[in-house]
Amino acid sequence: MSTDPILRLDGIVKRFGDFTALHGINLDITEGEFLTIVGPSGSGKSTLIRLLVGMDEVTSGEIRLRGKRIDQTPANERPTCMVFQSLALFPHMSVGQNIEFPLKIQGVPVTDRKARALELLETLRLPTSFYDKRINQCSGGEKQRVALARALAFDPEILFFDEPLSALDYRLRKTLEKELKDLHNRTGKTFVYITHSLEEAMVMSDRIAIMKEGRFEQIAVADEIYGAPVSRFVAEFMGEVNLFDVTGAAKTGLEAQNVEININGNAADLGLALNPGNPGTLMVRPEFVRFLPPGETADFIVAGKMHAEYALGSRIQYEVEAAGKMLTVEKLREDRFMGKPGDKVMLGFDGEAAHLILESPHGAD
Amino acid sequence: MRPSKSTRIALLIYGILTIAFLYLPLVSVGFASISKARYLSFPIRAYSTKWYGKALESESVQDLLITSLMIAGIVTVISMVVGFFGALAFARYQWRYRTLFQKIILLPIFFPQMVLGLALLMWFNSIGIIPSWKTAVIAHLVWIAPIATLIIAIRAYSFDPALEEAARDMGANTTTILREITLPLLMPGIISAGLFSFLLSWGNFPLSLFTTGADSTLPEWLYAKMVSGYSPLVPTLGILSVVGSFLLIMLAFALSWLMRSIKQSRASQI
Repeated sequence: MSTDPILRLDGIVKRFGDFTALHGINLDITEGEFLTIVGPSGSGKSTLIRLLVGMDEVTSGEIRLRGKRIDQTPANERPTCMVFQSLALFPHMSVGQNIEFPLKIQGVPVTDRKARALELLETLRLPTSFYDKRINQCSGGEKQRVALARALAFDPEILFFDEPLSALDYRLRKTLEKELKDLHNRTGKTFVYITHSLEEAMVMSDRIAIMKEGRFEQIAVADEIYGAPVSRFVAEFMGEVNLFDVTGAAKTGLEAQNVEININGNAADLGLALNPGNPGTLMVRPEFVRFLPPGETADFIVAGKMHAEYALGSRIQYEVEAAGKMLTVEKLREDRFMGKPGDKVMLGFDGEAAHLILESPHGAD
Repeated sequence: MRPSKSTRIALLIYGILTIAFLYLPLVSVGFASISKARYLSFPIRAYSTKWYGKALESESVQDLLITSLMIAGIVTVISMVVGFFGALAFARYQWRYRTLFQKIILLPIFFPQMVLGLALLMWFNSIGIIPSWKTAVIAHLVWIAPIATLIIAIRAYSFDPALEEAARDMGANTTTILREITLPLLMPGIISAGLFSFLLSWGNFPLSLFTTGADSTLPEWLYAKMVSGYSPLVPTLGILSVVGSFLLIMLAFALSWLMRSIKQSRASQI
């Protein structure tokens, strides 16, 4: 596990005129892992991936592939390959010609090329009759698979993905996410994927790197990013969340700022206390919040008033108002809570489901 | 959606006017070319195709056709090449003086051709070049190459830059990208630019008038014959010139149809 990284980024800076898009990025990518870089648009993730494949030049910093510096190597001489957002399939070539393109460039003989292309069609679960299809005869999902086959034909050391699923409809995207993860397992290649979609990142990745304003905010496995974010930004970016501004208090360990939270005992016993007077943010995901029937208790209890209920499919989302603040609760449909808007409710959550963000409220900036 | 009644009437009037102004005059020239009489008059009393025979036999007519063809042919080839690279600079690549280039290249099109022809003639004289059909090639190019550039640029604008980047990413160098990706994708634009170039040069009068010197192109000859010494060969050559343009367009259509069906048959055989 602790072998040398396949790709090491060391202090990558990219400037466009006066604008700094990347402020010294450091990152080690392990061979064979599926790393997803997630961030809102404008966070610099696309800029970063363009530097990694060699379509733009770094302003400063080093990129090393297996210890060898490649940041000055042009894109066509790097052993990496990218699946583009637009897929960039060549419209004047057939599916087979597209897949064979990198092989043709490498000078592979015609018969070997065709054999490899047919093999890849099979790997991507496309019928071999697709070999002679034209690109514009393929559906969105089929085009995805052709683009993947072409990238695999190149046999890259690292396969990069620039949000290739973003243009597809929801169901197809879900299917392809799973296929991509499966493909990663089968090929054992290193995948680096960028997306703005948390769900995509969660489903597929071994590790997730969250990017904000040209810096990594957090790099960790999916569960950790979801359950123990380092900042409010990460917490909010990774889906619905309830955040409470808190400060350390001597007696109960924590004291909420705007909402009244009843803490059962001392938060220090739950490992969630702050030094008295220090600010922080208490976080709990909506699915860990319970509606407390009379007589039941929890580590943290908030009184509120039912505001609205939304059906999200398999889950039901509730909005509960507590001292002017909207809290979100999610329940599976089978655990549906029967309540009308305006009803008084008690919400509770436990210490192990909560997480304390130590960064000061409203971020460091 | 069915157009409203007033729209339909307007469309009908538009259609009639188009035929009346665009095609009827051509038909009358056609009639004149097969009239037996020496002078143009309606109604035509006797028909004959003898002027076509005479035109094709006449050495001066052959010279005219060759001169016009040569100019148009060379202008077409150069316009396609210059237009291809010009279009890449115009639409595809970001560079410092791009917007200036985009404006300057449009200027010759907006210049009155008479003025452009005169200016070029004076310039040729001042640097001591004797005007001939070769100088006409240059004059035509000044006006036609920008048009070819624009036509190819339209195609280049709809071209996804990621295609070239993807090719490079997969190991292709600049020459390979040009040959395998850029050129084939811009080809429809290049072909139509070539067609336009040929037709614009073939039918051009004002630029040729000033810059061909002692040589003469078809349109020049037609004009000269109309103002002094009408000959029945005038409508005949006029029709021949139209037929030539028409055949060229048909040829282009046939070629593109042929290419498409070859591609399809290649795609369908497994």
